[in-house]
Amino acid sequence: MNTPLNPLDLSGRHFLVTGASSGIGRSTAILLHRLGARLSIVDLDEAGLSAVQAELRGGGQVEPHRTDLSDIPAIEPLVGRCVAANGPLHGVVHCAGIQAIVPVRTLQVEGWRKIFAVNTEAALMLGKTMSSRKVYAGEHGSIVFISSVMGMAGSIGAIAYSMSKAALDGMARSLSLELAPRGIRVNCIAPGFVQTPLLERTGKLWDEGQRKAVEDLHPLGFGKPEDIANAVAFLAADTGRWITGSVMVVDGGYLAR
Amino acid sequence: MDEFLAEMAEILEEDTVNPRDELTSFESWDSLATLSVVAMADDKFGVNMSAQELQRAVTVEDLYQLITAKKAA
Repeated sequence: MNTPLNPLDLSGRHFLVTGASSGIGRSTAILLHRLGARLSIVDLDEAGLSAVQAELRGGGQVEPHRTDLSDIPAIEPLVGRCVAANGPLHGVVHCAGIQAIVPVRTLQVEGWRKIFAVNTEAALMLGKTMSSRKVYAGEHGSIVFISSVMGMAGSIGAIAYSMSKAALDGMARSLSLELAPRGIRVNCIAPGFVQTPLLERTGKLWDEGQRKAVEDLHPLGFGKPEDIANAVAFLAADTGRWITGSVMVVDGGYLAR
Repeated sequence: MDEFLAEMAEILEEDTVNPRDELTSFESWDSLATLSVVAMADDKFGVNMSAQELQRAVTVEDLYQLITAKKAA
């Protein structure tokens, strides 16, 4: 038997990556592509998608799809277009998300529903669609949802975000049980604070002292998008073949206290 | 019946299903499909079926008859 030299090899596999125009999604797309995968990259930011596509010239095919993932009924047709363009899917990595610091007294129904739609309901619809025999390639199936330490630990102003991520973790556990017989693994990654455009936007609400206080909650400092992309690759590839229904914490020690 | 067939097609991951199709001929006819039919009978017909009751069905039409008979009872 030939053993692949690279246990993270994804040659010949097709992954759909959401939120791929920036941050964790962008780093994930770049790494999975370097590992040999064909990609369908999805984001609302069309210019960002084009920039990532230009960066990924050579190697496996990369197809951009501009989509608003809060439009849940649009996700199944989106996945259909991805399969038509790039073949059946081996995996989905849902990195797209909304993070907003909104205290309970100013939290509005429309706001928390939008967060829940993108962070949680879109993930479920992606998982549901991926499980279809018309979509799934039939082997090496792996779904990775980017969750958050906020799904396990509270933080002021993160009520809706925490709700969406805790629900995501719970959904993934049950989904993993239903999809295991088809050979599709379902896992979450719970990052701490990672230096992304999302964090920069949130960080504008902080003064330097608050920023330092948040960073000090991480014994290893803020993370980089590549730290999360590396964990995604591990779960996406056969290195994660015996892991399903889990939440992998990648947080620089945030939850260790 | 048409709505039932559409629901069954979705559960069995087929474009269409016919009343006389045998359930075991579908690759997707498994324990989760049975659970889906139980949920569909409750949601669309207001009937509580058990997975054991559904095991008596051989064809798609048998399922429909089991559900509608229980609703009428």
